[in-house]
Order: sequence, then C-alpha cells, then structure tokens
Amino acid sequence: MTTGTIANEIVKSVRERKEFSLLAVIRNEYFLYLVSSVLFVLIWHWAAAEQVLGKSLATPYAVAKELARLMTIKLAGLTLLGHIWASTQRILIGFVLASVVAVPLGLFMALNRTVNAIVKPVFDLFKPMPPIAWISIAILWFGIGEASKVFIIVIGTFVPCLLNAYNGIRLIEPELYDVVRSLGGNRKDEILQVSFPAAFPAIFAGLQISLSIAWTCVLAAELVSARSGLGWIIVQGMKLTKPELVIGGMLIIALVAWLTTLAVSGLERLLCPWKRHIEGL
Amino acid sequence: MGAPRPAEGWGAPQTADNLPGGLSGTPEAARSRTTAAGTRVRMTQVEGKRALMDNDTSKPPKIACEKICKTFIQKGTQQVHVLEDISLEVFDNEFLVILGPGQSGKSTLLRIIAGLETPSTGRAILDGREVSGPGPDRGLVFQSYMLFAWRTVLGNVEMGPKLQGVGKKERREIAQHYIDLVGLKGFEKHYPHQLSGGMKQRVGIARAYANNPQVMLLDEPFGQLDAQTRLFMEKETERIWQAEKRTVIFVTNNIDEAIILGDRIVTMVGKLPGRMGPAYPVDLERPREPTDMRFLKLRYAITEASELVL
Repeated sequence: MTTGTIANEIVKSVRERKEFSLLAVIRNEYFLYLVSSVLFVLIWHWAAAEQVLGKSLATPYAVAKELARLMTIKLAGLTLLGHIWASTQRILIGFVLASVVAVPLGLFMALNRTVNAIVKPVFDLFKPMPPIAWISIAILWFGIGEASKVFIIVIGTFVPCLLNAYNGIRLIEPELYDVVRSLGGNRKDEILQVSFPAAFPAIFAGLQISLSIAWTCVLAAELVSARSGLGWIIVQGMKLTKPELVIGGMLIIALVAWLTTLAVSGLERLLCPWKRHIEGL
Repeated sequence: MGAPRPAEGWGAPQTADNLPGGLSGTPEAARSRTTAAGTRVRMTQVEGKRALMDNDTSKPPKIACEKICKTFIQKGTQQVHVLEDISLEVFDNEFLVILGPGQSGKSTLLRIIAGLETPSTGRAILDGREVSGPGPDRGLVFQSYMLFAWRTVLGNVEMGPKLQGVGKKERREIAQHYIDLVGLKGFEKHYPHQLSGGMKQRVGIARAYANNPQVMLLDEPFGQLDAQTRLFMEKETERIWQAEKRTVIFVTNNIDEAIILGDRIVTMVGKLPGRMGPAYPVDLERPREPTDMRFLKLRYAITEASELVL
C-alpha cells in the first residue's frame, strides 16, 4: 500500500491560472477593497465639506491633522500614545483578572455537578445584568480611580469567559470519552486528553468576545469619569465642540481593538494548529 | 492482496460462462487495477480457503452473549426496550457480521460487548470472564470516526499505547506500524480535518489496532462513506484483517458489506426490541465478488428471510 493508491481520497485545492483581463481586475477582491475604501473617504469628505450634517462632521483631513497634533502635544499630561496605553492597560488588567478566574470556574462547573449546582444560581443572577449597569455602584465602592474601571471590565468579561468554557466542555461528543475508555483510559485521561483540548477553541472564542466587551466597558467607564484614556479624549472633543477630536478618538479605538483581536486570533492559530480556520468578518 | 476486480465495479457485465468457480476462476492470477487517481496497483490473489480454516470452532467461544436484554429508561419513567433475549457466540479469529436494519439494537449490543453499556439482564462474556467495563482488549471503531481533532494521525494512533503507559519511542514505532498497515504512510503529521472520510476511518481502525486488542468491534464503520469508497474500504478491511488476524464483530445494515466481509452473518430483526434472526455461514472463498452466483444466492436468501429492504 503506497501513498499513491489512496491519492483519490485526498482533498486537493486546485488553483487555476487565470488570464489577465480588465474584467478579472474589476472582479479582483483586493481591487474592490481599494475602491470601496477610497469611495468611503471621498463621500465622507464631501459630506463634511458641504456640511450635509451641519458643522459637526470634520473632514478626513482635519481628523488626520488633529491626530498628528495629539501625537506631540500633551492633553492632561499625556500624548495620544499615553492615552491609548491608559485604556489598554485597564483592559489588560481586567481581562486577565477575569479570565484567570472565569475560565477554570467554567471548566469546573462543566466537569463537576456539585460545583455547578453551587455556582449556577448566583451566576444566573448576574449573567443577564449589562456590565454598564455596574458603573454607578463601582464608583460608589471604588471611587473614580483605576479600580472602578478595572472592576467594570472584570464584570463584563467574566460572563462570556465562563459561559464559553462551560459550553466548550458540555458540547463535546460523549462518544469521544468512550474512545478514551475503550483505549484503557480513566477519568483523568478523559479530562486531560479530551475535555481540555476539545474545549480549547470555545475558550478562545470566549476570550475574543470578552476582549470586545472589554473595550465597550472601558469606554463607558471613561466616559463617566476619567482623566485619561480614549473615552476621556472623546468626551473632551464633545465638551470643546471639536468633532475632529471625537472622530479621531473613535478611529483610534477601532484600530487598537482590531489589533488586539488580531493578536488573539494569531495566538489561537499558534496554539490550535488543528482547527479549521475560516475567514470571518 | 486485495481485490482483483474490474475497475467498473458493480456494473461489470459477467456472463454465465465465467460464473462457475466464481472470481477465483478468472484466468489471471494477478491483475492490475486502476484507482480513481490513476495509480496502477498490483493486486495478487489470495487463497480464500485458508481464511475459513483459521477460526477453530472446537475451542470455547472467544465472546459469548447469554440471554441479553436491555431496557433504557428515558425521561425518568418511560421505558424503551431495545434488546430482547440475545444469545450469541463468536469464535477466535472469526469475522462475525451483525446485520440488521436501523433501530434493531445492534449498536447497543456492540456497546454492551465493549463494556460501555451494561445489560439489564443476561451477560456478555469475554474469554470466560464477564464483561464489566471497557478495556484495551477490545478495540472500537465508530461510525462517526470519533478522532481526536487536536491530534495528528500519529497522535491519534499512538493514544492507546500512551494510555497504557508505553514509552514514547516504542509507541511511535507501534503507531507507525499500524499507520503503514492501513495505508496512511506519509500522512502522519496531518490533522483529521485534512483527511477524507475514508482516510479518517483508516485512522480509526489503526488507532483501535494499536492497542493490540484481541477483539475488534466495528460499529457501521463505513456508514458515512460514498458507495465507491465504501467498497474500497471493505476490501481494505479484509486485507488488514488478513494481515493481522483478530476476532472481529462488525455491525452493518448493508447486505453486500456483510457478505463481502463475514465468515458468518448473524441477523437482527424487529424494531425495538431487536431480536436475533437467522444466522448464515458464508462459505465463499475470499476475496468475494458481488456478481458471483453463490454471492447473489446468499444475498437473496438473507433478503427473503429478513426485513431488510435492499
């Protein structure tokens, strides 16, 4: 038996060589990406220059100029990079604190019925509460310093971390445990060889969701009370009626959030080479 | 070894003249066969008689099922009667096929022998001892493959020896041997999602074999494959089994698969609970041709007697 004899069973992707033509260029997805991006900026510029939405829409150029200015001058003692770091730092602390507790707890709940029965009623009470609802109590408890912002992030990211770890284990095909048992494994082998690795992608999905929720939480907290961070920059723009500052802040948040998501999915590819990766939105 | 059959497969017209003597009467002792990929493989003839001599029915049975009944309790009170009075003997190195329609309880019977379910009454006996749980002496192959998606082909196959505490170097060698046996050489580092259905099941078979079990239990292993791959895998199963003999219990709902593979076919009839139907010894030399007159006769006899609509 050689490799060749089963070649008919291998799934192969065949890339055909296409001839160069205008139609092919127009249909090329990267070309279309460029067209849609340029069109968006042009329409934005036109809407701002013609004041379609009144005076509160800054042109792309004004936004870029404002961002460049913020790189050098200090706002409340920090440059733009300083404010980005202020927000990112809050997110990282809250995110790590929450996931370190929530992921193991979710795994334990899924694997042990007693732990589940003890934790579940309390968790079910807190689960549907929007994290933003905690802001007022957080400020009452922790003041307007760093602790209250980190607290909001912990609250917001805890739920998806725990839920995904829990579901990741609960959705494992029970027959996979039968395989381990029939190969001579015990309960410990079932958990180490099946439960944990099989739940890994779900845990990572939970971390991804948590990260985007963390951004929502940190902005909300900074909008309410802060002296630094990207949320604070946006509030400053609003107070000073500087739409270019508001829009610039929004763009930076999008950029940083996108980069962190990219980092996490890169890490997942590294740690889960066995997962079939699909190009999602 | 393997299948000296024309590439056209089922559709190959066979006249009455070359039917007597069956496939072994074909003039060439060895014939080339062209796979779909265009690779030409040399296939040699096997003496089918020898396979029949190998299992010795004078010794006590390897596996015995004694009056097994199984009732599942669903939603607290509702009882589902799945198996009714199943008695069965399987002999050493015998290839036994359990043939039955869906819902006849054949998978449940296999899971009882595997030790993954306990019978409500009666008992399953392996080598004179009552089965009390799953163990590495019985290798299991599942219809839905059940591979560890996070492990490579090599990682899947070496899992059995690993759980037995076999050292890394030795279990690599064992795994490699069975990967070669099932024809997956060169795919050791592939992950299951990179393999086709037939290849996945090859991994499943190699993984079960790697623990060196005395009994192989296969639960409709080719149920998810297309007809051509299925036929090919049946021939491969025969080849692998002849290379490394084990006692095999093979569950299927496919009559042709049963006749191609089985030394003996036991039928199961009825829809919940499943009962034992008639048993058929298959006295045809291997490899068997579905167009052989005696093959067709047996097929007809089984179809007549059972509820299988095939």
